[in-house]
Amino acid sequence: MTDDLALVERFLRGRGEAAFRALYRAHTPALFALAWRLTGGDRGEAEDLVQETWVRALTALRNFRAQSALRSWLCGVLVNVRRGRIRSEWRIVDAPDIEPLTEPAGHDDAIDLERAIAALPDGARDVYVLHDVHGYTHREIADLMGIVEGTSKSQLNRARSLLRSSLP
Amino acid sequence: MTNLPLEMQPDSALEERVTSVLVAAGLVRRRRVWPVWAAAAAAVVVLLVGITKFRPKHALVPGNTYAVLLYEDPAYKPSPPQVGNVRVQVLSRWADSLNAAGKYISAGRLTGPGPLGGLFMVRATDDADAARIAASCPFRQWGGHVEVKRYDR
Repeated sequence: MTDDLALVERFLRGRGEAAFRALYRAHTPALFALAWRLTGGDRGEAEDLVQETWVRALTALRNFRAQSALRSWLCGVLVNVRRGRIRSEWRIVDAPDIEPLTEPAGHDDAIDLERAIAALPDGARDVYVLHDVHGYTHREIADLMGIVEGTSKSQLNRARSLLRSSLP
Repeated sequence: MTNLPLEMQPDSALEERVTSVLVAAGLVRRRRVWPVWAAAAAAVVVLLVGITKFRPKHALVPGNTYAVLLYEDPAYKPSPPQVGNVRVQVLSRWADSLNAAGKYISAGRLTGPGPLGGLFMVRATDDADAARIAASCPFRQWGGHVEVKRYDR
């Protein structure tokens, strides 16, 4: 049995706080990194996204099947939560304010790349982050985002092209 | 693939926030921490049940009835699990000796908050005799505080 599966079973036995915290600590750093990039470096929005992801994930945790890695499943939940939030935000605001990036990422090139990713249009950024940063395939991205694989590929090409032109 | 970090630590306050939201939503059960006195009181219950069971009755000496009160003050050292029911046996022998002398009436537990976990009802010829009984209670060996009070109907 994998560590993840053991953690899930332990949690589902009693839904105890300690078991949840073990799950949280194992997977939140990856969820937060994904959320932070998908939101263009908006820390507050990323934290809200992580919180809503855990709410959705625990509601549906009995449906988790061990065929996929728990982390991938959780990231999928996060991407779907993000899609839902974007749809509702569109009805409320046109141009959300995003704080400038301050997150250190190791060295200057990485910081430049993080900034350039944050400046990408939403759709292109989502595909780029999922494909080039987190290693999802176009098929997985298409399933997660409810788009066809061709759209995922064209968004990725667009993102790469924009990044090439924006990076020194 | 880029070599950007795949994990980032969020603010540590987020864990508490998320946990609280999940508890409020009924998706996580909050850990229940029993206070020390409750665990200690439970130990006294076990002790007293063990002591009172199957004890033969002897004629009581003439005198007054007293309550010997057992308090689990902060200095009290709960029984380590590995020593099992040794304390039950020690207190039981003490109660046996009182019983043989016609001075044991009963033992019981006291429920509710606070360090007072149990009592022995004893018969003593006078206050000084009651004080000697209380002083001989083995509960004091483990850091527990023992008081004695005369019981008037």
